[in-house]
Amino acid sequence: MQKTQKKLIAAAAALSIGFGIVPAANAMHIAEGYLPPTHCIVWGVICLPFLLAGFFSLQNTVKKNRRALTLIAISGAFIFVISSLKIPSIAASCSHMTGTGLGAILFGPLAVSILGLIVLLFQALLLAHGGLTTLGANCFSMAIAGPLVTFLLYTLLKKCKVNKKVNIFIAAAVGDLFTYCVTALQLALSHPSEVGGAGASFGKFLAVFAPTQIPLAVIEGILTVVIVIAMESFATKELRSIGFIKEETK
Amino acid sequence: MLLIDKLCYRSNLRYVNAGEKFTYSLLTLCMCIVSRSILLALLVLAVNSFLTVGKGGIPLFRYRNLMLVPLVFLLLSTLAIIVNISRTPLDAYAIPLGSFYITGSFASLYQGLQLILTAMASVSCLYFLALNTPMTDILNELRKLKLPGLLLELMLLIYRFIFVLLEIASSILTAQKSRLGNRDFKTSVKSFGAMVSVLFVRSLKKSGALYDAMESRCYDGTIHVLTENYPPKKAEIFLILLFEILLLLLTIWSKLR
Repeated sequence: MQKTQKKLIAAAAALSIGFGIVPAANAMHIAEGYLPPTHCIVWGVICLPFLLAGFFSLQNTVKKNRRALTLIAISGAFIFVISSLKIPSIAASCSHMTGTGLGAILFGPLAVSILGLIVLLFQALLLAHGGLTTLGANCFSMAIAGPLVTFLLYTLLKKCKVNKKVNIFIAAAVGDLFTYCVTALQLALSHPSEVGGAGASFGKFLAVFAPTQIPLAVIEGILTVVIVIAMESFATKELRSIGFIKEETK
Repeated sequence: MLLIDKLCYRSNLRYVNAGEKFTYSLLTLCMCIVSRSILLALLVLAVNSFLTVGKGGIPLFRYRNLMLVPLVFLLLSTLAIIVNISRTPLDAYAIPLGSFYITGSFASLYQGLQLILTAMASVSCLYFLALNTPMTDILNELRKLKLPGLLLELMLLIYRFIFVLLEIASSILTAQKSRLGNRDFKTSVKSFGAMVSVLFVRSLKKSGALYDAMESRCYDGTIHVLTENYPPKKAEIFLILLFEILLLLLTIWSKLR
């Protein structure tokens, strides 16, 4: 066999494996109608305290400074847009960022809870990712649990004086993985396995989504680092205006 | 830019009273997930496809492609439900694997089918709303539900900004592509980062400009928008009511059975 032929076959094989494993690696939205009604309501109620806290904090911010309203709104649109754009990936497939990790690092987890809710609603209505009945569950995993972990890790590692790039990578990737685990847990609780109950089905859901979600978390981590670095190099003024780098300027 | 948004402005059902469409899709959605009956799911799927494609005039191939969007998730997660690993084989199928079996029962196969159909029917409800009702009408309906003003205002502004930002992002992406900005994985990651950060800077500028524009037009804390009013029709309400009662009876029947 000629060298070029070998290369061609290898490339085709790599491509087909890529397609086979990663048909479309979206952030893991639970589809409309997939959860029983009680679970929909319970996850919605669990979200409530976080959403209320987020709402009141936004209300205070807006009351103090009316100008913040358009800033908050554009942050929401920003999260929506980066989560709707195709990101570069090794296998030629169509994957998207969660965007809420970056949002939590930039704007804080409280604001992201409300913005995440609105973004998820728009994603359901404009992109058909997720749904109305599963809004509560998706909101908890993507707008509350994930961003909260990202933010906590980010602040913790910053206190420990970890290298900033490493810090952001770990925070974003672990937040993404946590979102994926929470979603698997939600699915497992609503559809417990007939052998071994919810625990076994948790393992199964984790395994089924692992091939799409683990590479996605790594890519999301890398992208978040690249984005923050690029922002710091030519958007320092803007980052200061949203309070992201106030401590460094003191 | 956003396919669903573009399609819903062209729908023939666009000028039907938004409250009717809103109530219809939400009630039907609830019936779907409460009953989980295969018969009801098929009925809802058929009616919604007829309404969206037949009445609304959404092209069939677009509708089909959109219905396929959640399918990957559905197939993967249903796989996790119908496949078990156990020491004892179950009744539907069992593939021995050392001392274990990859196995499943008829009950779980039935449950999987039920789940996929319910989910598809629910997705069709969601599409009926999304493909026939522009977002501004949906926001108006939410206003009638007495959601807090700040939330509605944020939603209105975010909806507006999404298109502004998408336009900026798509022109940057085109510029990057025409300069081989996605030549290989490393370059495309770099370009993506650069694009997002420019997008961020531009967003903040836009938000400042929008506030100035609003303030110079006497913005005092609430955004006032004029709404077009299309009164509900008695015949439509009657039909919706009839359909929902039918679904309710089906739900009760499937629960009692």
